[in-house]
Amino acid sequence: MEIRKKLMMVILLTCGAVLLLTSLTFAISEFITFRQTAKRQLATLGEVIAANSTAALAFDSKEDAAEILSALKAEKHIVEACLYDENGNVFSLYQTGSASPVFPAIGAEGYLFEDAHLVGFQKVFQDEKYLGMLYLKSDMNAMYDQLVVHGVIASLAIIVSLLMAYLLSKKMQQSISKPILALAEVAKIVSQQKDYSVRATKVGQDEIGLLTDAFNQMLTQIQEQNIEITSFNQKLEQSVQERTNDLNRVNKELEAFSYSVSHDLRAPLRSVNGYAQMLQEDHADKLDKDGLRITNVIIESAKRMGKLIDDLLDFSRMGRQEIVKSTINMDTFVKGVVDELMEGEQERHINIVVHRLGVVSVDPNMIRQVWVNLISNALKYSRKKENVYIEIGSTVQPGEIIYFVKDNGAGFNMDYAHKLFGVFQRLHKESEFEGTGVGLALSKRIIDRHRGRIWVDSKLNEGTTFFFSIPNQ
Amino acid sequence: METDDNIVEILFVEDNMNDAEMGIRALKKSALGAHVLHLQDGEEAIQFLFSADIKNLPKLILLDLKMPKIDGIEVLRRIKSDPARKVIPVVVMTSSREECDIVDSYKLGVNAYIVKPVDFDKFTKVISEIGSFWISVNQTPLHNKIK
Amino acid sequence: MPVLKHIAYIQLKSKVKFIVFVFVCSVLLSAQIQPSREYQIKAVFILNFAQFIEWPADAFSSAKAPLVIGILGKDPFGQFLQDAIQGEKSKGHPLQVKRFSQVSEVKQCHILFINQTKSDQELDVITSSDNQHVLTISDATDFIQQGGIVRFVTENNKIRFQINLNAARQNEITISSKLLRLAEIVNN
Repeated sequence: MEIRKKLMMVILLTCGAVLLLTSLTFAISEFITFRQTAKRQLATLGEVIAANSTAALAFDSKEDAAEILSALKAEKHIVEACLYDENGNVFSLYQTGSASPVFPAIGAEGYLFEDAHLVGFQKVFQDEKYLGMLYLKSDMNAMYDQLVVHGVIASLAIIVSLLMAYLLSKKMQQSISKPILALAEVAKIVSQQKDYSVRATKVGQDEIGLLTDAFNQMLTQIQEQNIEITSFNQKLEQSVQERTNDLNRVNKELEAFSYSVSHDLRAPLRSVNGYAQMLQEDHADKLDKDGLRITNVIIESAKRMGKLIDDLLDFSRMGRQEIVKSTINMDTFVKGVVDELMEGEQERHINIVVHRLGVVSVDPNMIRQVWVNLISNALKYSRKKENVYIEIGSTVQPGEIIYFVKDNGAGFNMDYAHKLFGVFQRLHKESEFEGTGVGLALSKRIIDRHRGRIWVDSKLNEGTTFFFSIPNQ
Repeated sequence: METDDNIVEILFVEDNMNDAEMGIRALKKSALGAHVLHLQDGEEAIQFLFSADIKNLPKLILLDLKMPKIDGIEVLRRIKSDPARKVIPVVVMTSSREECDIVDSYKLGVNAYIVKPVDFDKFTKVISEIGSFWISVNQTPLHNKIK
Repeated sequence: MPVLKHIAYIQLKSKVKFIVFVFVCSVLLSAQIQPSREYQIKAVFILNFAQFIEWPADAFSSAKAPLVIGILGKDPFGQFLQDAIQGEKSKGHPLQVKRFSQVSEVKQCHILFINQTKSDQELDVITSSDNQHVLTISDATDFIQQGGIVRFVTENNKIRFQINLNAARQNEITISSKLLRLAEIVNN
C-alpha cells in the first residue's frame, strides 16, 4: 500500500477509534444517568401520589384513590400503578393498555429495574401513620427514545468528523509523504536509467532530510567509483590490447618461422633420404653388407627427422590455430578414427570396445588428433601382447564429460607419469617402441585449449588408461 | 636437360638440383623421362613457355613454388591467365603445406597441389603416379596436337 | 305426681332464668365490647381525622400533651377505640379517649364525638369556654345545621362525611385539603 494511503489510514483509524470511544463513553454515562434520573423521578412521583392518596386510604375512598391514580395519565411512561391498603390488599388500580397485569404482592420499599421496566413500592404515610403501599411500574421507552436520538446525532457527528479528518489529513499528510515520494522517485530514476548524476532535493531537517542527504552522498560515492572503475577498465582494455598486439605479432613471427622450417628443413632431408636410397638401389652391387647397413641407418634417420619436423610443426600450429567448436556425435567420430587406424592392423587379435560417448561441443580437427594419438598409442604399446583389448568410454560428471582410452599393453611406472606430457619426453626406448615424444604433448595442448584436463593411470606390464575431460556447460 | 626429339612433354620447374635429380629419376623409371625439360627458375620457365618459337606446349608442368627470381605463384598466374596456355595441367610440387600457399594456388586455377614427401619411396611413387595420370590417363586439348 | 311436676317446673324456671340471664349479659357485653362494623369504621375515621387536622398552637399545653378524643353521650365504639389508640400518636401527641355524660363535663378536648342530639345552645356551650378548638363529630341528621363540623353520612353502604368549613374556621381548626376533597362541603 502506498505511503500516502497508509498515513491517511493511520490518521482516520485513530480519529475513528477516538470518536467511537468517546461516543461510547458518553452513551454509557448517559445510560447510567438516565436510569438514575428515571429512578429519582419515579420516586418523586411516587411520593407525590402517595402523599395525595393518604386521605383516600385513610377514609376508604376508592373513587378518590382511582381519581388520584388516574392523574398518572400525565406521565405516559407509567404503565401500571396500584394502591394497597395497610393490610396489603389491593385498594385501587391504574393501568394503561388492555392487558390485565398481575399486580405483585407487596414488596420492600424502593425501586429497581426489571425486564426493561422500572418498578417499585412507596409506603404511604400521613405523618407517622402507615396507611398503605403504592406500587408503580414505568417503561423505559423515554430512555430508549433518547438513546436512539443521541445515537443518531452521534453517528452524524462521527461521519462529519471523519469527513473533516479525511480532508484535513489528506492535506497535511503531504508534509510527510511528499518528501518520501520524491526520494523514491529519484531512487527509481537512478536504478532504471543508471544515471548517478541525479540528486534528491532535501526538504526539511527531519529524518527524511537525513535520509536524503545520506542517499545523495551514496550517489556521489557511486559516481566517483564508477569513474574510477571506468578509467581502470580503460587502462585494462589498453593493456589487453597491447598484449594482444604483442601476441599477434609473436604469432605472425612464429608462422613465418614454421613456414620457413616446413619448407627449408624438408628439402635437404629429402635429399639425404633420396640419395641414400638411390645409392642402395642403383649401386647395390658396389656395397657390402656393412655398407648396406650404414645406408639404411642414413635412410631411417632421415625418415625419423622428417616425422619429427612434421610433429613439431603440428605442435606449433596447434598453439596458433583458432579453436572452432561444433557439436559432434563422439560415437561416430571415434568409430571413424578407430576404423582408419585399424586398417593397418589387420593381422593382430585386437578387440576394441567403444562405449556410448555422447554428443559434445569440440573442435573436430583438434579432437581428432587427440583420439588418433591416444588410440594409436594404445595399439602401439600393446604390440607385444597376444590378445589386445582396448576399451574406449566416457563418464558424465557435473560440468564435464570424461573420456578414457584403456589398453592392456606395456604400461609404465607411474613415478614417471609427470614427464609424459612434455615435448620429446618418452618413457620407452626407441628400440622398444618408436615415437617422437611429441604426440602426447600435442594432445595436452589441444585439451588445454578446450579448457579440459588430461591425465593417465598405468601399471607396468598390465596396461594404461588415459583420461581427458571436456567441459560441458 | 635435353629432350629426345626436342618434344617437351613434361616441364619440370625445380630450383633444387637434388630434388630435380630424384624427380627425373622417378619419371624415367615410369617411362616418362624421355621428354622431360628441367628448368631451374621461374624466369627460365616463363621465357620457355612464352617464347615466340615454341613448337609445342608441354602436356604437364610440374612446378615448384619457392624459387628465386620469379616464384612459382607468379609463374602459375602467368600460365593460367594466358588463353592458350591455361589449358596446360599444372601440378605444384612443393615442400610447403601452408594453407596460404594451397589457397593461393587453387585460386589461380592450379590442377593439383602435392607436398613433396620426405620419404624417398613415397616421393618416387608420387611423381610416377602424377606423371602417369596427367600424361597417360588424363585428356587435355593438347593431347591431340602432339602425335 | 305433683312433686315431680313441681321439681320440673322449678328446673324449667331456672333454665329459663339462666337463659335470660345469659342473653341479657351477652347483649350488655356485646354492647360494650364489640361495636358494630359501622362504628368500627367510624372509629378508625375519627382517629384518622387527627392526621388531617391542624389545631392552633395553644390547643396543646405542650408538644407532648395528649390529643384528647372525647365521647359525649353513650359510647358506641366500646373497647375498639380504646384498643385502636394504644400506642398511637398524632404528630407527637399521644392519643387519649375521655368519656363524658354531661355537657358540662366536657373540657380539654380536641375531638369530640357527640352521640346524642343536643340543642344549639348546648353546642355553643361546648364551644364557647375552654373547649374552643375542638372538632365536633356526630351522626345526627341536622348536626351541621346545629353548628357541628363533621357529620357522618352513610350512603350506598359507604360511610361518607359532611364538613362544615365555617364552623371549622370558627374553631380555628385547619382541615387538610386532602380530607376536604373526600368530604361533602356543607355550610350552615
